[in-house]
Amino acid sequence: MLPLQILLNFILIIPFAIMIFLSFTNWTPVTGVDWWRAPVVGVPNFVGAFTDQRFLWALLRTLIFVAVVVPVEFLIGLGMALLFMGRFYGKKVATSIVLYPMMVPWIVVGLAFFLMFQDYGPVNMILLKSIFGEPKLISWFRDPALAFGCIMIADIWQWTPLMFLIIYSGLLAVPQRLVEAARVLGASSRQILWRISLPLIKSLIVVALIIRGLEAFKVFDTVFIMTGAGGPGTSTETISAYVYKVAIQYNDLSYAAAVSLILLIILAIVTRLAIRPLEVKPE
Amino acid sequence: MKARQVLGPAVRYILVILVCVWTLAPVVWMISISFKPPTEWYSPNIVPERPILDNYITLFNSTIPIGGTYFMTSITEVITLPLFNSLIIASLSTVFALFIGFLAAYGVSRYRAGGTFALFFTLLTRMLPGATFVAPLMVYYSTLGFIDTYPGLVLLYTAVTLTYAIWILKGFIDEIPPEWEEAAILEGAAPWTVVSRVTLPLVRGGMLASALFIFILNWTEFLFALVISVTQVRTLPVQISLYASAVGRMYGPQAALGLVATIPMVILGYAIQRYLVTGFTFGRVR
Repeated sequence: MLPLQILLNFILIIPFAIMIFLSFTNWTPVTGVDWWRAPVVGVPNFVGAFTDQRFLWALLRTLIFVAVVVPVEFLIGLGMALLFMGRFYGKKVATSIVLYPMMVPWIVVGLAFFLMFQDYGPVNMILLKSIFGEPKLISWFRDPALAFGCIMIADIWQWTPLMFLIIYSGLLAVPQRLVEAARVLGASSRQILWRISLPLIKSLIVVALIIRGLEAFKVFDTVFIMTGAGGPGTSTETISAYVYKVAIQYNDLSYAAAVSLILLIILAIVTRLAIRPLEVKPE
Repeated sequence: MKARQVLGPAVRYILVILVCVWTLAPVVWMISISFKPPTEWYSPNIVPERPILDNYITLFNSTIPIGGTYFMTSITEVITLPLFNSLIIASLSTVFALFIGFLAAYGVSRYRAGGTFALFFTLLTRMLPGATFVAPLMVYYSTLGFIDTYPGLVLLYTAVTLTYAIWILKGFIDEIPPEWEEAAILEGAAPWTVVSRVTLPLVRGGMLASALFIFILNWTEFLFALVISVTQVRTLPVQISLYASAVGRMYGPQAALGLVATIPMVILGYAIQRYLVTGFTFGRVR
């Protein structure tokens, strides 16, 4: 464990200590004082954060993002898994096709959907044209709600396959003898699904939802590239984008540290509760 | 009954095709636009009328105009250095994470070293948003002089991907019966020899799977790279973001660059797919 401990101390623990210290100062690089000599000013950073509309909105917006994206990914993933449980020609190829979005770098997903939703891009010129009969020139990234929707669609596109994969491999792992026993007793496929398969993979689904929820909360890459980390204005700014901007663009490192600390405390509690189902190991 | 037998499969095929089209559309469009000359960037054709390779060539040699015009080509920065940086940083970090991760996983699996806390601590670090780490890391790294250096990014990537190395390798080591190692010890082998001659060869599959998985994570990491690499060690994802924001409507080279970054990942992804499928059930269900 020694190399691990050194590395963790060096890369993770020390910055964490720095974060706590900084959050109680009002240091920025432009003050000209070394950060470790910065005077401790107490809690104004924390007080400021809870009255900071932009922070609170970013937090709320990110929660909305998670609340929309994760259930949609789950439902489509479940539907796809049920679709792929049946036999059909070309299943192997189709499975390979639907899985590849997971392997596309996040930033490229952002880029791909950025290109899709351009004014003269395929969504306006092909999709909407085939629906309405004429191309609509919608400026997706100029409208706050539409821009946020685009980011959600990109996330759903990328991560539904993961949901599909988890549910599908779970369904495949359901012991065949249980299914056959139920069938012998006269259960319909629908009953087998709702009464046997889904209850058996319930804990798996819970784990999948938790992991995806925590991951979705971090959303940054697609926001950065599709709306320039939060545009128009701050209307698509997620919490990651906000903290990034405070720290890097505004150079307000103390305030960024305080906000980070608040987030870490909230998330540590949520994560601790959330990974509890993970700990129960069938050993 | 008859109608249902025909309709059922038909509906299934339609749905499967819809899912496939939805999945393929964004990347097909990127492929299409990456072969289009500037004059066709705004046309809705999927198949380019005059396909060209210039969008790819200009990534490596910005003096060559795209599609025979000198349209904004001077802004294009070549990607030779970012490509090289991404390869070096992702590979080195993967090797370090595997080395340390293997030792740690071995300790955890065989001796319960560090207890469950160490394991959950590493898991916890993965679940927290990287953005909360940006401010202190910035301060810490500038104090150490690590900003825009290889060691800075490599150490960071090693630390954040260790979790996966430990968790994946622990699973593989757990499956090796300790008796096999004890047998080697009885034969008079030194502890280190046991690990390198008995355990290591047995977990080769796990090493490969975690190596590819961690390489993919490193290759695609964006936030930390954006913060830490300024110019010298700029990685491919950062270069993509610069293209998209600064270059404006350079759709062709943007799409080409996106594909250059994606294709190796998709190939590697399929190589480890079977490990991932088994890994995702977390030993549950049965």
